[in-house]
Amino acid sequence: MYKELDPLLHSQLRLSIVSILMTVDKADFIFIKESTKAAAGNISIQIKKLQDAGYIKVEKSFKNNYPNTTISITKKGIKAFEDYVNNLKKYIHPQR
Amino acid sequence: MEETNFTPEESLLLIAKTIEETKRKFEENGYLLLFWGILIFIITLSQFFIASLNLNIGIGLPALLYPLAAIYTFIFFQKKDKRSKLPKTILGNIIQAMGIVLGANLLILGFLFRTQLGLALIPIFLVLLSFWVIICGVAIKFKPLLIGGILLNLIAFIPFFIEWQYHFLIMSFASVVAFIIPGILFNNAQREENV
Repeated sequence: MYKELDPLLHSQLRLSIVSILMTVDKADFIFIKESTKAAAGNISIQIKKLQDAGYIKVEKSFKNNYPNTTISITKKGIKAFEDYVNNLKKYIHPQR
Repeated sequence: MEETNFTPEESLLLIAKTIEETKRKFEENGYLLLFWGILIFIITLSQFFIASLNLNIGIGLPALLYPLAAIYTFIFFQKKDKRSKLPKTILGNIIQAMGIVLGANLLILGFLFRTQLGLALIPIFLVLLSFWVIICGVAIKFKPLLIGGILLNLIAFIPFFIEWQYHFLIMSFASVVAFIIPGILFNNAQREENV
């Protein structure tokens, strides 16, 4: 339907995750889960897709003896997000 | 949230909403604004009384509280970062870094170069502070802080027209306008939002 829009970002959950990561330095999995209100399994799948595309970086560590997953956006992800937003604007205001 | 068939308008709305919600989670609660506002108010008011009543106390003595308050602020942020489960926003990082650089420079100017700066000391302090307050106001989209910053910038030039001992009084007035009032309003706004 919207050919120029990056299909990877044109999904509500993936777009929400990337939008959050555009605002923060890095976020942990729980924060993303609470912010998006999506199921953990679903988030994991979408994170994997974004990671495979090189849009985000996932780091696993331990925090207070508990496993902790932190996610941050990569330069490629920032570029993809900016292109996506610019293309959205073109759809909304095609004359510009 | 697996939906992919949504319009560009909905998509932009989702981005704006997500970014706005994420930013809101990190806004400071106004505590430090109030803390610094009250501190500056007390220090400068005591300096005014020391100067105008010719008291036999060093006028720089109350200012020794500034470095102590800076240490307290540093510890406050360290503890807050450790306790907080929330990630740091890029905006928050910028505001914090600017605050540290500004604070360090004000302390250097105030303690090492006050003689060289003479009567321009307080105007310089107020102009530099106003930059930070205005930027914070714009960044967190909080009008009272923005207005406070603009007023602070204007107040900064008043000392050039008045006697030196009144400079301290101007600074205490400025602290009310740019820190205490916005701090109280910010606290109230946050409280209402959390109800």
